[in-house]
Amino acid sequence: MRKEPLDRPPVAVFTQSATIGQMDAVGCAWPEAHSDAKMMAKLGAAQATVFGFEAVRSSFCLTAEAERLGCNVDPGKKDRTPMLKKHPFNFDPMSDVYDEPNLMDPEEFLKGGRPAVIIEATRLMADEYGKEYPVIAGNTGPFTLAGHMVSTENLVFGIMMNPEEVHKWIAAVNPIVKAYSQALSDAGADIIQMSEPSSSTDLLSPDMFTEYSGNYVKDSLACVKDAYSVLHICGDTSAILPLMADTGVTGCSIEEKVDSAEAVKINNGRVALVGNIGVVHPLLQGTPEDCAAAAKRIAAAGFNIVSPGCGLSALIADENLRAVVKAIKG
Amino acid sequence: MSEKLDALIDIVVTGKMKLAKDATQACLDDGIDAKTIIFEGLSKAMAIVGDKYAAKQYFLPQVLLSANTLYQGLNLCLPLLQGDGSASKGTVVIAVVEGDVHDIGKNIVKAMLTGLGLNVVDLGKDVPIKDIIASAQENNASIIAESTLMTPTLAGMKQCEADLKENGLKGKIKTMIGGGATSKEFAEQIGADGWSYDAVEASHLAASILGIQ
Ligand code: B12
Repeated sequence: MRKEPLDRPPVAVFTQSATIGQMDAVGCAWPEAHSDAKMMAKLGAAQATVFGFEAVRSSFCLTAEAERLGCNVDPGKKDRTPMLKKHPFNFDPMSDVYDEPNLMDPEEFLKGGRPAVIIEATRLMADEYGKEYPVIAGNTGPFTLAGHMVSTENLVFGIMMNPEEVHKWIAAVNPIVKAYSQALSDAGADIIQMSEPSSSTDLLSPDMFTEYSGNYVKDSLACVKDAYSVLHICGDTSAILPLMADTGVTGCSIEEKVDSAEAVKINNGRVALVGNIGVVHPLLQGTPEDCAAAAKRIAAAGFNIVSPGCGLSALIADENLRAVVKAIKG
Repeated sequence: MSEKLDALIDIVVTGKMKLAKDATQACLDDGIDAKTIIFEGLSKAMAIVGDKYAAKQYFLPQVLLSANTLYQGLNLCLPLLQGDGSASKGTVVIAVVEGDVHDIGKNIVKAMLTGLGLNVVDLGKDVPIKDIIASAQENNASIIAESTLMTPTLAGMKQCEADLKENGLKGKIKTMIGGGATSKEFAEQIGADGWSYDAVEASHLAASILGIQ
């Protein structure tokens, strides 16, 4: 994370890390592990204890905060992550109807629901594995969380129709995001990995990024005390990578849609680069050889940490993950 | 082409939502019929938007704005089409498969099929396969049209073919599929009766399946 020159980059899963193989190996599975701190700690450590990756990570989804704030969530299955079912607030740019963002206080937010479970799991992981491995805690970014509350489509459409209402909502969720990020650090996380998929260039144009996402990330994530901060965004991030670094985070985690060497060039040493092995190709559909080759290529390109580029599919084969570890650690 | 229609295309492409209704009305007042407005105007406009998106001149917010602008015009035109009482040409049940909420493309295909004079039953987005089949039976539909833009939800389309077969409906109810994640090869592989790249082609496809025109 400090971008120091090393013989080889560390290899770790910075994004959602659990797979069926790990669930079976440690005897803790989804959906229960999403809401039980002990199970989450055990399963979140499995990337290290089962495969030899060099980190442990708490939380497996991006719905915990939204659920705490009133969204309806389908808990998913052993092989399927939870999915948002309903947005509690009305935000309709077509009919010009916008609910006020009446959300719970940040302190209240931290006390219950799955955020409290994840904080507790992070604490357990820091106690049990913290000496040996860095503890990563994953959470949800401000634009993404605001989208969860009012529907991402409507929020994005609102940028064209009524930007003030959009800002009102992101500004309302951001103190919660900030308090939660700090609480995860206080619980012992060494790294906060914030995922902000809804501000990818598939949803926002690059010239909207800083105004609707970057500035808020700067205020909530980049100022977390006693932990490194990593901003994860999916899709083709080549146009926004410099803007992601402008938020002041320690690292950026990106997908394989950006060529690894190209990303290193764009980044020009500004932040630690984390990524960018493809989750579908090669991890899910490729062979162990394909996976090892991708990991080696990314290390050679100059990434600071070799990691999958996005959350793992639970169906990824053990051999493919082992091949990644072996390719880097030898 | 008519100036009025060109003006409407420009309004949709640039997302001037408040002007869309009046511009559509102006076309109608000029004697351009609703079907022509949809086929030669609105759908052309959305194709231009698609090209701009592919060229990274447009991003999602602009696409959404154009789509909502297009809906303003569609809402004026669609009732006029249903007015010709041509439901007898055939019924299509259209839906976006379960797990997928992308419905802009489906809505445009729906407009085209309506423009063709078909009776279109729209089940919306994120629809379970069993509901699609049940509705097709209930409405005595000749065609099930399914849309998906996402790879993980392709499985639903395959499921639909299997379920139709199991219920002895395969061939009696024809299927056509489309949306970004699909391809001609995929359609052939799962045994769908047709695939098309865009909405205009989708209307030709439906016409040929039903043997009209
Ligand atoms: C708009 C959009 C959204 C909007 C959808 C709004 C809405 N109401 O539809 C919102 C913001 C909600 C959205 C959300 C998401 N999206 Co999105 N989205 C898009 C985007 C930018 C444009 C799609 C669109 O409307 N195009 C315009 C229409 C007119 O074109 P079309 O749909 O292709 O339809 C034409 C043809 O395909 C055909 N057709 C369509 N249907 C049918 C049906 C039949 C029967 C026939 C014959 C023909 C036909 O005719 C149409 C007209 O010519 C695409 C990018 C892209 N390149 O497509 C991504 C894209 C589809 N999204 C994607 C993703 C990943 C998501 C999210 C998962 C993002 C996230 N991380 O949260 C969520 C999905 C939520 C869910 N469960 O569905 C991916 C899908 C990747 C994949 N292969 O699986 C894409 C491809 C972006 C990308 N490059 O990664 N998205």
